[in-house]
Amino acid sequence: MSSAFKAFLNSPVGPKTTHFWGPVSNWGIILASVADTQKPPEMISGNMTGVLCVYSALFVRFAWMVRPRNYFLMVTHSCNECVQLYQLSRWARLQGFLGKKKEPEAQE
Amino acid sequence: MASSKFQAFWNHPAGPKTIHFWAPTFKWCLNVANVADFVKPPEEISYPQQLALGCSGLIWARYSMVITPKNWNLFSVSSALAVTCTYQISRKIRYAR
Repeated sequence: MSSAFKAFLNSPVGPKTTHFWGPVSNWGIILASVADTQKPPEMISGNMTGVLCVYSALFVRFAWMVRPRNYFLMVTHSCNECVQLYQLSRWARLQGFLGKKKEPEAQE
Repeated sequence: MASSKFQAFWNHPAGPKTIHFWAPTFKWCLNVANVADFVKPPEEISYPQQLALGCSGLIWARYSMVITPKNWNLFSVSSALAVTCTYQISRKIRYAR
């Protein structure tokens, strides 16, 4: 167990390097967004949330292609993508963009 | 001369045919979105989001100067993000007073 931990500590993308702590700081964005899911959707910024969705998608690809490959950054941005898409859906529902499903019920 | 410089840029391993160019370049849109939100009412600003984005901007500004090669694009966009987030937070604090 301790040899695996030592391997992690001394990894080229491990906690002795900025390749580790950059993505750690990005987790703040995810945790902030998770906290914001409990707030009313009126507080969501469509601009910022939409841009964050595209931004995280691009950085998933970036983390895969950069050398050394950064799986931690990839997972971080994948999680952010999920939270931002959820927030975007809450914002879109508030704006009325996701209201079409009610029409078939009204016709019955 | 200009076309050979453009060719060098176009075919660069971190140039516009690669994600190494577009990912940091797109990050500028985070700043554009934040600036567009300067006109939003301060009660709609999210403290956690702006604090988290601002802190990550500062840390990535440092990161971009430590990696090889130095990434001035990432440095400038991260620094700008820290500035716009700080301004948004200051707007909300001023409103709360």
